Amino acid sequence: MFSSVSYQTGCQETHASKSGLNLMKFGEMLIQPGTLLQYDWYKSWEGRESLLSILHRNMHHRKLFGLLEEPLLPVQFSSSDVQYKIFVSGRSGVGKTSALAKLSGNEVPTMHSETPGIQTQVVYWPAKLVQTNKIVMFRLHFWDAGDAALKKFDHILPACKENADAVVFHFSFTDRGSFEDLPRHMARIVSPSDNTCKLVLGTKYDQLAHSDVTHQELREFEQQYKIPVLKIANIANYEQSELQTEVHEVAPVLNTLCEYLWRRDQVAAGVLQTERQTDEQRHSDEDQMVLYF
Amino acid sequence: MAAYLLCLTTGGGVPLFSRTKGEIKTLPFAVIGTLNGVHMFASTHNIELLATQTKDAKIAWKVCHGSITLILVTRDDGGSDACLRHLLAAVFDAMVLLVGLDDLINIKNVERLKRELKCCYKLIDCLLDQCNSQVFGDLTGAVDVVLGQENTLLQGALEGFVEYADSTYGCLLVRGKVAVATKKWWGLTGMELVLISLLVSTLPPGSSRDIPVFLPQGSPTVPHRLCTLQLTAGVEACVLCGPAPSLARLSDELARYWRPPYESVRSLAQLHPRNFSHHLRIDPNILGFVLVNTEAHRCLCSVQPRHEDSRREGSNLSYTRRRAILRSFYKHTIGHVYAPPRLKDDPNLGPTDDISERLLHRPQETYMLFDAYKCYSLQTAVYRLFVLYGAQIPHYALRSVTRKTLEILTKDKQVRL
Ligand SMILES: Nc1nc2c(ncn2[C@@H]2O[C@H](COP(=O)(O)OP(=O)(O)OP(=O)(O)O)[C@@H](O)[C@H]2O)c(=O)[nH]1
Ligand SMILES: [Mg+2]
Repeated sequence: MFSSVSYQTGCQETHASKSGLNLMKFGEMLIQPGTLLQYDWYKSWEGRESLLSILHRNMHHRKLFGLLEEPLLPVQFSSSDVQYKIFVSGRSGVGKTSALAKLSGNEVPTMHSETPGIQTQVVYWPAKLVQTNKIVMFRLHFWDAGDAALKKFDHILPACKENADAVVFHFSFTDRGSFEDLPRHMARIVSPSDNTCKLVLGTKYDQLAHSDVTHQELREFEQQYKIPVLKIANIANYEQSELQTEVHEVAPVLNTLCEYLWRRDQVAAGVLQTERQTDEQRHSDEDQMVLYF
Repeated sequence: MAAYLLCLTTGGGVPLFSRTKGEIKTLPFAVIGTLNGVHMFASTHNIELLATQTKDAKIAWKVCHGSITLILVTRDDGGSDACLRHLLAAVFDAMVLLVGLDDLINIKNVERLKRELKCCYKLIDCLLDQCNSQVFGDLTGAVDVVLGQENTLLQGALEGFVEYADSTYGCLLVRGKVAVATKKWWGLTGMELVLISLLVSTLPPGSSRDIPVFLPQGSPTVPHRLCTLQLTAGVEACVLCGPAPSLARLSDELARYWRPPYESVRSLAQLHPRNFSHHLRIDPNILGFVLVNTEAHRCLCSVQPRHEDSRREGSNLSYTRRRAILRSFYKHTIGHVYAPPRLKDDPNLGPTDDISERLLHRPQETYMLFDAYKCYSLQTAVYRLFVLYGAQIPHYALRSVTRKTLEILTKDKQVRL
């Protein structure tokens, strides 16, 4: 037929961590939420009008777009588009596929069934910039790979990492091991020096009562690695009202993700400076501002 | 139909997994041991135990490649043994599809294999959960299709896209039903066609996928990449390819091939759930049908054949119920009246309860009458048609309307199964 795809059989352990525990900062710096994007904008009149483009007419469900399709913002809003590739990483069963379903407005699966390969999903999210007051339509292309498949087939991890703008590492609030493993897991996937945005997403936040990861630990993690920790509950919310659609549940996660991606672009374009650059300036200048424009 | 499916290693009788369907307790370990024990006892005496029957249940065994034993226990729903054998064959092929034959034959580490098999659960559950399925392919061994009108445009786009993917295998799926496919794709076996379509429709919806698959007959030990790309809601372009091009490259090139026929793609999506072109009109007494092309391994089914809601026409059978009736009619007919389709790796092992094997002639037509509905079926050299009618149609009309329907569905110049 045609040449094959290579894969692992037998008992060898793949992706053994070569680099040991790396305590360097993975992220660049933390952003005060709302520094670059207006987090509550989607609740405003203009924001709601923009959301219409990604919602069904009943305003309750997200419109799903094929790869040939895209949302149309009202013409009177001047807007621009940006697109990003985001790799979704984490242990099997941690909730990657569920989180993706939640973020994209699809039905969230109730049972765990292993993702047998790569599964991607495009999510559109309109947001408004603080500085220029411009509306930007973010096209977020999430790449999710089942952990077992990723270990069995050699081509999956490189395909997910290739040209990724961000990696979202998942842990589950009900699985302390998955939280403690994050630094080692991150070291296996990315290096502190590469230019991808790194974020952490804690799933099963609805099970907080059964959680043994404390908020204090999350804050310490954020400070140590300079990576923001987000939280999500991948369950259907039955208390949705007219104003409180599923979009409102995922807005904080999407806004944060977009804000970090946007910042990375601005740094790359030289509009913003990284913390390392600003550290040097700080010696002469005792300013406490996080961002310099 | 409540059912248990057990999977064990043939060598040691170690359970690998079990699936249950319906509201039933899990089988106690001792019972599993006994079920496997009788089979082993028989085989030590050179007897292959295939199936047995209790007052209300049927049990079937299947040993695959001398290494995996499958045991299926189901409520006796009157279906033939042929259908049970077909289901077991499909379950094993589903395991090959996602895990590969090597790991199933050379079991070095049972715990590892157990973990590997987890990714098949969803597909296997779907095979067991027959009545809730929207398609009939799992039962007929022929892949579900939709019959549209504008196929030449789509065929051209598909051929170009598949060529770009450095492959010859590709198809366009409308909610798990094939709309157009390349010649090579149609060269896959019926079981492969069915399992690939089923796999795609059991996965959660997504913009694109890249799933390693082993073709149970064509390439059971060498995996290929099944890439799917969603063009619009419910319509996916699928290709089977080697290591290159990457999924990202395929997405980048998607518009070049599929933007021009975008309107046709949209109208294709509209065919679901009727599944066949609106210009083909069939008798209003028909509540649903399954048409199988046994040579080409294609089947067309519809339980909403009328544009307007046919429930108003004196029938209050829900669509789910219609599907269940047609499935049951099919299961009673295949094996009992019509000869079952031959399975590749399953040479017919001795006598079964299937009446078809004892009949001296080849029945051409069969029917069943009930208070609320009527079923009629006919077969030709190539086609088998199963039709569900409302109760109001007179008996004498069943044969002629069924023949006419076959004509309409198979003789059209533009669309043909
Ligand atoms: N209560 C609750 N359950 C969740 C949440 N997220 C995921 N789950 C459950 O966790 C299980 C695993 O979720 P998946 O999303 O399939 O896991 P995955 O990370 O994609 O796993 P692999 O594909 O095997 O790598 C499922 O049973 C989900 O229903 C959550 O936020 N809350
Ligand atoms: Mg998954």
